[in-house]
Amino acid sequence: MKFQIPIGPQHPALKEPISLRMTVEGEVIRDADLRLGYNHRGIEKLAEERTYLQNIYLTERICGICSHSHTTCFVQGVEALLEVVAPRRGQFLRYLVAELERVHSHLLWLGVAGHEAGFDSFFMYTWRDREVVMDILEMISGNRVHYAINTLGGVRRDIDEALRTKILDSLGILRARTDYYFKLGANEPSFVGRLAGVGRLSKEDALALCAVGPTARASGVAHDVRRDDPYGIYGEIPFEVCTADSCDVLGRTVVRIKELGQSYNIIEYLLRNLPDGPVAVKAPRRAKPGEVVSRDEAPRGENIHYIKANGSDKPERLKVRAPTLANYAATLARLKNGFIADIPLIFAAIDPCICCAERTVELIDGRSGRPTVVRWSDLRRRAARRAGRVSKKRNVECPL
Amino acid sequence: MSALKTLLYVFVYPGLVFMFVYSTFCEWFDRKVYARLQNRMGPTHTGRWGLLQPVADFFKLMAKEDIVPEKADKTMFTLLPIFGLAVVATAMLLLPVWHFNPAAGGFNSFSGDIIVLLYLLSLPTIIFFLAAWSSTNVFSTVGGTRVLTMFFGYEVPLFLAVLSPALLAGSWRLAEIARFFQAKPVLLLVNLPGFIVAVICVQAKLERTPFDIPHAETEIVGGTFTEFSGKKLAFFRLMTDVEMVVSSGLLATVFLGGFPGGLVLGFLQFIVKTLFVIFLLSLLRAATSRIRVDQVVSFAWGYLAPLAVVQLFFVILLKGFVL
Amino acid sequence: MRIAGFVPELLRHLFKKPATVDYPFRKLEVPKDFRGTPFLHPETCIVCRACERDCPAEAIEIVEVNAAEKRFKMTIHNDRCVHCAQCVDSCPTDAMEMDDKFEISAFSRWDLKEEWEYVRAVVKPKPAAPAPQAAPAAPVSPSPVKPSESET
Ligand code: SF4
Ligand code: SF4
Repeated sequence: MKFQIPIGPQHPALKEPISLRMTVEGEVIRDADLRLGYNHRGIEKLAEERTYLQNIYLTERICGICSHSHTTCFVQGVEALLEVVAPRRGQFLRYLVAELERVHSHLLWLGVAGHEAGFDSFFMYTWRDREVVMDILEMISGNRVHYAINTLGGVRRDIDEALRTKILDSLGILRARTDYYFKLGANEPSFVGRLAGVGRLSKEDALALCAVGPTARASGVAHDVRRDDPYGIYGEIPFEVCTADSCDVLGRTVVRIKELGQSYNIIEYLLRNLPDGPVAVKAPRRAKPGEVVSRDEAPRGENIHYIKANGSDKPERLKVRAPTLANYAATLARLKNGFIADIPLIFAAIDPCICCAERTVELIDGRSGRPTVVRWSDLRRRAARRAGRVSKKRNVECPL
Repeated sequence: MSALKTLLYVFVYPGLVFMFVYSTFCEWFDRKVYARLQNRMGPTHTGRWGLLQPVADFFKLMAKEDIVPEKADKTMFTLLPIFGLAVVATAMLLLPVWHFNPAAGGFNSFSGDIIVLLYLLSLPTIIFFLAAWSSTNVFSTVGGTRVLTMFFGYEVPLFLAVLSPALLAGSWRLAEIARFFQAKPVLLLVNLPGFIVAVICVQAKLERTPFDIPHAETEIVGGTFTEFSGKKLAFFRLMTDVEMVVSSGLLATVFLGGFPGGLVLGFLQFIVKTLFVIFLLSLLRAATSRIRVDQVVSFAWGYLAPLAVVQLFFVILLKGFVL
Repeated sequence: MRIAGFVPELLRHLFKKPATVDYPFRKLEVPKDFRGTPFLHPETCIVCRACERDCPAEAIEIVEVNAAEKRFKMTIHNDRCVHCAQCVDSCPTDAMEMDDKFEISAFSRWDLKEEWEYVRAVVKPKPAAPAPQAAPAAPVSPSPVKPSESET
């Protein structure tokens, strides 16, 4: 017996609205379909009406977890357009926050993976230890989520010696706990039984479907923007690109845990070699006409911002390619012929950040192939028509 | 006078009031232990140390709107929670703690009551399946089939594990089994593998992690209970709590030597031993991750059933050659 | 693979103090320099409108009440504010500051509005920020970097 089960747009496994329609036969998924667009916020359009400075805070809100990656990516691009270079101390602090953010994001992901697999104790413990890095971030920047530390030409806040020592001390705790989770995650039979062999993505598929970030690295594709196209000061920082060959969800877990270790090393390097000097330089308000593509390695993978300047203090166009968008194709292919029980795990394994990936939708007429523009009034009419059809029995009030 | 006594039995002790109080207490204990194992606080605010939280949850749910889906089988949907609660409440009466008439047995202690108790503990599973099926939701349907699939996995090992002490004691009456082991406590050690199997099976019967598959929230939302709300959900929750008390009472009777010592001391033993079993269940819940339904069946038939069979053979040999 | 590898860790925490706090009854302290809600010191505001211009959420509104008296009214719409502290950075006279309140929910968005009516101050703006010379051991300066005031 085949039937469809809707996962989302509201579902306990998903923290954000996205809709997956699963055609299942018993416990086995036969077909998967993805529907996006529940959380489109018009950020790119809005960015055209804000100055570069204001846009930093706007791009920060593209994502709630990798907020710093988006501002870093944006600020790098705009700094190139404005022809300013952030001072070295400023850059060190910028990428220090970036690595701290990676630590918090990966710890968060570990907890989420535990929760999706029904391992709530693991979830509680990883999130408890994540508080350590959240507190550090709060002390550096004044906020737990939106650090707002980047500005054009550097960073906005400096750290003092006390804070530097404190971060170095906390690294010890974090390292010990991460080692423990590595041992635990690879040993608890019920957990490993859920992760191993689930959601296989071969190396060829990962390349063909353009997977990025830990998803690709877990399939043996050693791709990391920090090393392949070093931005900022990453060229001088020693670190390894972590990969795994098991190609499954367990591999993605292992890659993330290993990356945590690399991030601790990077943080330690940055703090030990922190240069003196100013943290920011003055940046002009207007950019000369031109365009730039800026990339950085967000915790979830490669993040791309395209910025076009037209000589005013506002960008003419901002285009954001969030890493989740690149990973959707790889995920959908994995779901087929899996079990219902694996849906949350496979989907969570790319660490989806759904509202980051929501972009403008262009509707294309299936018959003529022409793109159509749908007006608000059309939408209303369609909704009313549909509501009229459905609610013959009860008089449902149409919200529009 | 005797009518009054009967009423007291039915409504106060060991009837509804006591059942409600003790099962909510056990839920509190389970939640608190689970939370403390996870370095959290658990319920703190309602009542002293949050003791009244499960009671508050129950009454809150009772006051909530009660929605019956349009396509559901209304009679089944309404009757099943009440029926389920009645079943587990009856099962609770069979535990040999309530000394109505210790010498002669009586309506709640007779030869074969262990079978009746096991049967009454199987019924909730069927009720969950029917409840899921009659609510016609896709998530419920998937949950319902998972309930049944799991049932085929854990039920046989549970029966085998529970029956081996009965064989050793040579009686089908819970009170007598308990008395046998009270006389020879050393023999309790023989049943240790059976106890482990039984604890795992009870965990599966109660649908708690790692066997919370029928209502795995990250996969199939509420699973079996997706469409249940208000009073019906409150009844189902109370039913699960009572089931937890009954099954831990059963394990305490057959594996931990029952509850000797008369009315008061026996009752204290009952509390301590059931809480110990519930503690083990909480620890198991905290230490594991949910597994897949196919893994349950292969685990139950690959490990639990053989272990229970070995235990059974060992008991038979022991009884034949040593005792 | 180890069976029950997690159990020792779990049992170790059974009698430990919980890591969580009993939130509405006990609260954690926020660090210094926490970005709470912005507020104005009206005695130093010179109405340069830098904060109004730079606020990414358009949460600051300055209107002239009386031109002759040079009276102005500033409204901070806390319902729109995103607590970025850009206004603090932009202000040349340190008239803007952030407090450490974070529990600022209200039943109506109008309750979140804050207003100040004041006469324009005559304070000399600080010399346009020489990007702060952050000595390595210097404590975090409360109003750190002001790179944004420059206009091309
Ligand atoms: S904190 Fe940010 S959003 Fe709030 S008023 Fe100041 S500049 Fe505007
Ligand atoms: S930036 Fe400062 S001085 Fe200028 S208007 Fe705002 S508060 Fe007043």
